[in-house]
Amino acid sequence: MIGWYEANLVLIEATFLNFLLALSIQVPLRLGVFSFAGVGSYGLGAYTAAILTLRYDVPAFVAIGAAVLLAAVVGYLFSLLVARLNGLYLAMATIAFVLIIAVLATNGGELTGGANGLYGALSDLTTGGVVAVCVVVAVLLALTERGPLRRRIEAVREDPELSLSMGIGVVPMRQMAFAVSGALGACAGAMNALLRTTVSPEEINFHLIVLALTMVIIGGSRSWIGAFIGSVIFTWLPSMLASAGRWQDVVYGVIIILAAIFMPTGLLGLVQTLYQKLRGRRSAAVTAEAPADDTAEERALLQALGGESRGGVQ
Amino acid sequence: MTTTETAPPVLEAEDVAVHYGGIKAVDGFGLRLPAGRIYGILGPNGSGKSTFLAAVTRLVPLTRGRLLIDGEEYHTAPPTKLARRGLARTFQTVRLLPELTVLQNVQLGADLHAPGGRLRSWLGRDRPSEAVEEAIERTGLGDVRDAWPTELSYGMARRVEIARALASRPRLLLLDEPTAGMNHSERQEVSELMRKLRDEGLAQLIVEHDVQMMVDTCDHLVAMNSGTLVAEGSPQEVVSHPAVQEAYLGKRWRSHA
Repeated sequence: MIGWYEANLVLIEATFLNFLLALSIQVPLRLGVFSFAGVGSYGLGAYTAAILTLRYDVPAFVAIGAAVLLAAVVGYLFSLLVARLNGLYLAMATIAFVLIIAVLATNGGELTGGANGLYGALSDLTTGGVVAVCVVVAVLLALTERGPLRRRIEAVREDPELSLSMGIGVVPMRQMAFAVSGALGACAGAMNALLRTTVSPEEINFHLIVLALTMVIIGGSRSWIGAFIGSVIFTWLPSMLASAGRWQDVVYGVIIILAAIFMPTGLLGLVQTLYQKLRGRRSAAVTAEAPADDTAEERALLQALGGESRGGVQ
Repeated sequence: MTTTETAPPVLEAEDVAVHYGGIKAVDGFGLRLPAGRIYGILGPNGSGKSTFLAAVTRLVPLTRGRLLIDGEEYHTAPPTKLARRGLARTFQTVRLLPELTVLQNVQLGADLHAPGGRLRSWLGRDRPSEAVEEAIERTGLGDVRDAWPTELSYGMARRVEIARALASRPRLLLLDEPTAGMNHSERQEVSELMRKLRDEGLAQLIVEHDVQMMVDTCDHLVAMNSGTLVAEGSPQEVVSHPAVQEAYLGKRWRSHA
């Protein structure tokens, strides 16, 4: 077993880092916010941690903590900037944020190492440290998936107008989602940079956005468990498909298409549906199968296009 | 009766106007709703009833006028503050959260008053409060408390909305077409519940198309057309008012009648 662990250490670490990256997309999505800003924060966090380690030789937890804090603040400020955007327009703006971070990294001169990036960021971060951080994050997120906080989140995603009449501040909840997303993305980026001891602008690209989104959609967008399932699959799948040779990309693509068609609520949703069916809760499954994300997104899009908010106003 | 006469009305709307560009959806409308009364707003489609309700709940800004709860102005307060002041509402269409059970949907109404501060309510055990149990019992939802919204009939879903509003223990309840889509006996049950709540002192404002239901339930009717007040008084008075009949049935019908 030790042989397997050592041989696959990089993939094991990558699983946990991808888990945090997936969560940085999932947290805003649970509130009905389609934001990829977490991927930009990944880059921001990676560079912050690498620069602090290279220049000031700070301990890993200081470098990661500073990166997380900075990205949370940047995420919050970014949410103020895009406060009036919704749906696809918001998604576009957050993709622009990711690209801006990449451009800044490429043109950062000596500070960011330009197109070559930074290397030699040696630190005391261990695999155990990464796992510990992930466990803490998962526990904290699990708390948001139960009781009053879950109800608040459901209300903000499904029906912002209803939330207001229930006394729930939709805007502060969304701003918080941007800050948390920034913190999670930066945490993943910072730990990745310190484990690999390098960071380069090529890492922060469109592929990373697609990977993060795919993990959440295929794994399940409602719970941290879904993000974890997604991160396991999409970290290990490419190496498992290595035997497919040059057909690897095609097989990968077909798997994603099939999953998107037949599992609209992700693997976790599928498992939950089956579980409820086994318990004789037939119609509960109907609820779970309805891709509520789509309706919330459509609504947001309609609003963005200048339609009236539904209900109430004659 | 003396208390209701001396105390300020629960809801007071004064010269309320909501204009969208050139369209005057509501233009100089007002009412004074005392505690323990059911007021109804009657009016054809497009008369401005729902816009007025949206203005009262601060979902649309006022162009002009004043709004007061218990004598305190609130027309500049954000909509999120109104629930704490005792205002609850239901919507024209069913708006239950599909991924929460009936019980959880009702709990959402009571979360506002969760004891022990935010952190404790987030971390602690999530037992339904007394207000939640009471709201479920009064609306007759005991048997379906663990059901999902998609499993409910339309009338049942509407009752969950009323329960959710009641769970916040409001002083003022706004109901936007509460019996739309219900059958006769369901309508009667809701009407009965509303009258019972009135007798306990809850002020209610209803917007409804069903004239018969309004006459049976309300203490006082206000008729609206083109954003302004047309008639006001006891249900019988208002329903037989010529301007109201005209607005609902047209001029020609009245001259023939």
